Amino acid sequence: MVTPEDLVRVSGWELTAEGVCLEGLCVPEPPGEDSFVARRGDETWVNLSRLASLLDQPVVASPEHRVWFFGDRPQGLADRLVSLTAPDFTLPDLDGRTHSLREHRGRKVFLLAWASW
Amino acid sequence: MIDVEHRVATLYDMVNVPTAVWIDEAGRIVRPPEVAFVDNRWIEYTKTDMTRYVAGLRDWVARGAESAFVLGKGELRRRLSLPTAAHALAAANFRLGQYLHAQGHWEDAIGYFKRAQALRPESWSYKRQAWALSDAEQYYGTNFKKEVEALAGTPYYAPLDLPPVPG
Repeated sequence: MVTPEDLVRVSGWELTAEGVCLEGLCVPEPPGEDSFVARRGDETWVNLSRLASLLDQPVVASPEHRVWFFGDRPQGLADRLVSLTAPDFTLPDLDGRTHSLREHRGRKVFLLAWASW
Repeated sequence: MIDVEHRVATLYDMVNVPTAVWIDEAGRIVRPPEVAFVDNRWIEYTKTDMTRYVAGLRDWVARGAESAFVLGKGELRRRLSLPTAAHALAAANFRLGQYLHAQGHWEDAIGYFKRAQALRPESWSYKRQAWALSDAEQYYGTNFKKEVEALAGTPYYAPLDLPPVPG
């Protein structure tokens, strides 16, 4: 459970009168016990795992280490690929300088993934 | 660039290395993730004459959209591997395993790596990265050689489908 302020900080989603919203997309709050919002007196809490379930977002937890990981929505990943627009990313080089794929627009890119194992 | 989190593999649904994607000047994918060796030193794994792939790459660089190696949108979408719920859950397990390992909880990470491998058995990246972070035999009961032998004729890399190289 996180506060509405922490919800924005960790996910970008914002709790509004229409539900939780991000970039113009709103997910209405389900009624009753299915709601991802818990109100206790003056306090409001958002159940991130329940929200993730509604969003079809994978959640994996290690409760003993107090870690929850919220993954990418598979449909979001698939939609990006089907659009054929190469998904953007930003990664560091060996010196720690970051580079983004979008910086190479206007040139052909041969994107090669390798590993040293 | 260093991709500790395997972010590119998640975004492009890659399962092995070396894997390459061709992206044109407009940022559009023109060939999907494919095995991308520059020669035939691993031909027992690729089962493809990789010099044809390199020739195709040169042809694309020279001729752009006119190259026969540039796939049409329909064919490209047909060849793309699209992430499923199992793929996304595998990626989440893998990331949590990586996080725990980086925090020093390497034995606790193993269960998450194993779940990622079970959810995405075709991903050699999930296998080999996890094995590289511990003793594969001791903690996973296997190793690369055993896993390759278990393929029993199934290609290690998805076979390449390339047009004839222009004369």
